[in-house]
Amino acid sequence: MTKAQTTQAQTAEAEQGDVETVDVTDRPSRLEVRGMTKRFGDLVANDAVDLTVAPGEVHAVLGENGAGKSTLMKLIYGTYQPDEGTIAVDGTTVAVTSPAVARSAGIGMVFQDLRLVPAFTVTENIALALELKGPLLDRAGLAARIREGSEQFGLAVDPDALVRHLSIGERQRVEILKVLMAGAQLVILDEPTSVLAPQEVDRLFEGLMELRAQGLSVVIITHKLREARAIADRVSVLRGGKIVLGRADPTTMTDPELIEAMVGRTVPALAAERSTVEVSNEPALSLTDVVVKSEDGATRLKGLTLDVKRGEILGIAGVAGSGQRELYEVALGLCDIESGSVMVCGKPIGGGQSRQALAAGAVGIPEDPVVESVVPGLDVAAHMAMEDLPTYRKRLGIDWSKVRSFVGSLNDRTGLRMVDSKRMLSDLSGGNIQRVILTRAFGTTGELLVAAYPSRGLDIATTRRTQELLVERRGAGAGVLFISEDLDELLELSDRIAVFHDGELTGIVEPSSTDRYEIGRLMLGGAEADLVAVGEPSDQLATVGGGS
Amino acid sequence: MTAATLPPGGAAPAGSAASAPRFDTGRIAKGAGRWGVAIIGALVIFGAFMLAKGVNPFTAYGDMFSSTFSSSNSIGEILIKASPILLAALAVTVPARAGLVNVGGEGQLVIGGVAAAGVSLALGDGGASVGGMVLMMVAAAAAGAMLAGLAGVLRLWVGINEAVTTLLLNYLAVDIMLYLIFDSWKDPNGSGQPATRALPVAERLPLIGTSRVHTGLFIALGAMVLMYLALSRTTWGFRLGVVGGNPEAARRSGYRVGLMLLGALAVGGALAGLGGFVQLAGVEFKLRQGFLVGYGYIGFLASWLARHHPLQVGLGALALAAIAVGGDSLQIDSGLPAAGVNILMALVLLAVFGWTRVKKGVAA
Repeated sequence: MTKAQTTQAQTAEAEQGDVETVDVTDRPSRLEVRGMTKRFGDLVANDAVDLTVAPGEVHAVLGENGAGKSTLMKLIYGTYQPDEGTIAVDGTTVAVTSPAVARSAGIGMVFQDLRLVPAFTVTENIALALELKGPLLDRAGLAARIREGSEQFGLAVDPDALVRHLSIGERQRVEILKVLMAGAQLVILDEPTSVLAPQEVDRLFEGLMELRAQGLSVVIITHKLREARAIADRVSVLRGGKIVLGRADPTTMTDPELIEAMVGRTVPALAAERSTVEVSNEPALSLTDVVVKSEDGATRLKGLTLDVKRGEILGIAGVAGSGQRELYEVALGLCDIESGSVMVCGKPIGGGQSRQALAAGAVGIPEDPVVESVVPGLDVAAHMAMEDLPTYRKRLGIDWSKVRSFVGSLNDRTGLRMVDSKRMLSDLSGGNIQRVILTRAFGTTGELLVAAYPSRGLDIATTRRTQELLVERRGAGAGVLFISEDLDELLELSDRIAVFHDGELTGIVEPSSTDRYEIGRLMLGGAEADLVAVGEPSDQLATVGGGS
Repeated sequence: MTAATLPPGGAAPAGSAASAPRFDTGRIAKGAGRWGVAIIGALVIFGAFMLAKGVNPFTAYGDMFSSTFSSSNSIGEILIKASPILLAALAVTVPARAGLVNVGGEGQLVIGGVAAAGVSLALGDGGASVGGMVLMMVAAAAAGAMLAGLAGVLRLWVGINEAVTTLLLNYLAVDIMLYLIFDSWKDPNGSGQPATRALPVAERLPLIGTSRVHTGLFIALGAMVLMYLALSRTTWGFRLGVVGGNPEAARRSGYRVGLMLLGALAVGGALAGLGGFVQLAGVEFKLRQGFLVGYGYIGFLASWLARHHPLQVGLGALALAAIAVGGDSLQIDSGLPAAGVNILMALVLLAVFGWTRVKKGVAA
């Protein structure tokens, strides 16, 4: 460890002079991937992929879901073994046979689901990652080293804080610091911004700039163009397992050009003009003072009052875990409520009465269909019929030919290109499962559509189609509750955006008169967007794990 | 011997779980192959066991096979044993479709016999009639349903796993029977044995033709076909499959999951209760110590062997009944204890599990 740190310090020193003008030809590349191929059965996940990352470079790897980004990173990190291809680090070819080999070669990985133990302090978590010698843990010494590293890399971290008291953004900094203290010269971040508020994203990017300035290399996997532009010196685009654009300078390319590289064709923009829908005043969903507690007694929704009008898309923004899940469940009558009232299309819904909510016209697009909707051993047609059996009843049984013909017409109407109705749903990929769930939801005429992250796992073209279908439901007079973690999508689609923080509604804004930072401020509790300094866990952070 | 009856390759395992019926001959052949290998493996291991006991396994298996299948008498014996085993097995199959594990077939069989005997005693010898017999059937099914339903209630309201409660309720059912036959139901005209009086002739199941096999076999087969149709062709069966496959998805689709679980257990219990009636009115005619001991567990094996597919469960029940009958000849001819045959059954079960992937609640 100390050795690695020394090397790092030396490198940092060596870089001092030419931070701004990193010349690739002079020195060996930090990472040189050549002809990397990985097959899973018939599927070629990576097809002769080349990737070069220079020292002191932030390199964005762009691509749609399933383009092979994760496979490539797992090959580099040693989780997978390639069928063909080589990896060289700083000019030396390395056979990365395991993550341990990758780490000792100076490659560090920050996973999307952060690998920290919530009940441990920052020091203890970092101790887990470092191979420390001797039976005793020198907490004070390690904490001092963490402070040192924290300062060196510009990553504000309190070594004594319990991880469960930290916000997601802080946890991410701990994870990055952990990787750096283990000696990483190249840090790979897998979709690091998906759980962060805009201010936290800025903070993360500042940290990454600092690492770049010290000559470290960063690979950031993302599908968000805005972020690639904000931070990356170079972008490479993967499509269908192949590099279609290598080491491009993002400043020389337009968004449509980058999207075309990712998708393989142009994607039409969403129609900007939208009519006002004339409908009755009765809201599709009306919540009054709704309080929801989780099983461990923590209050998840703190007296929420909110209406979703008909003919409206109400977007829901918030840092992950701010009450979105509970809101979804309340609207569909899926969870018990402590107090307050829930009305779907004017009909009162008791807590935990999903039958009532469905009968009143509520339709859900779940956050995690594999857990919430997919039944192993049943085919697509069975899933399409599942929520609406009375429609397909024939004497005691089910009229499967009716189901199939309905599925066929629905597939034509939605244009979501669902797989054949005889396929087993549990055998399908996440994106294909999502298409089935979306097709089912858009096939109904429910007056309240509750959509949780509807474009998750979808390619860009299908995401666009899904957005069009949401707007269509709005145009047909349905109220749409649209939960998303993508602010761009929320701003583009919503009539109003309700922002949540820690189970409370912190504000409702209109896209035309707000910006990302306004929303971000509300996402962080409405306080001025100063982020937490080292050693000062704020109130909002303290309540995350502790409840009340 | 058993290898001849067990492979289900020729049977019609129609359709998967709750979906529309489908045939896939390749898959069925593969499954049959696995079964064959598994059973041969079990026979080899048990053969080694016999060798260790100084018995020639080849002659022992040969004796078992010939004495089991050569006489119509022993074939009849197999069918008689298979009837309650099949009903007890279906009592496992139906809850399994909803993802439940019913280990209580044993107790549900016994309580069914107790209820049927109770009705018979209440009607008295003078009241014996076909109508009385129907009443006995209904009472037996209701008693089984209630015992299994009790486990369902405990699961839904107290949160105790039904595998535990159904198993424990087996002891309750047997003790209720013992209490009654040692006490108020004891036949005053008997030779002091703890047993009820024999059923009047009018309350006994008629025999099929000139054989010793009683018409309870038709009740069992009828229940099997009915359950096959109910599980594969009705919305009820479909919903049960959804609940068993993913209860959360069922809840989110607006199903009354609690009621469905309770109903599945009750239907299962009713089938086993019917098994108790069949044994009482077709074979035993009186409750006594040892009434239907072990049948519930053999039925449990049969359902799991067949992966809870009703028609294959029929084959499984037949096969295990054959092993049980063969076990008697093993004892007579080779001098091995009758318990030895239980070891063989356990080996068959483990081997089949080992060679075929079994998913809980879902007929894969």
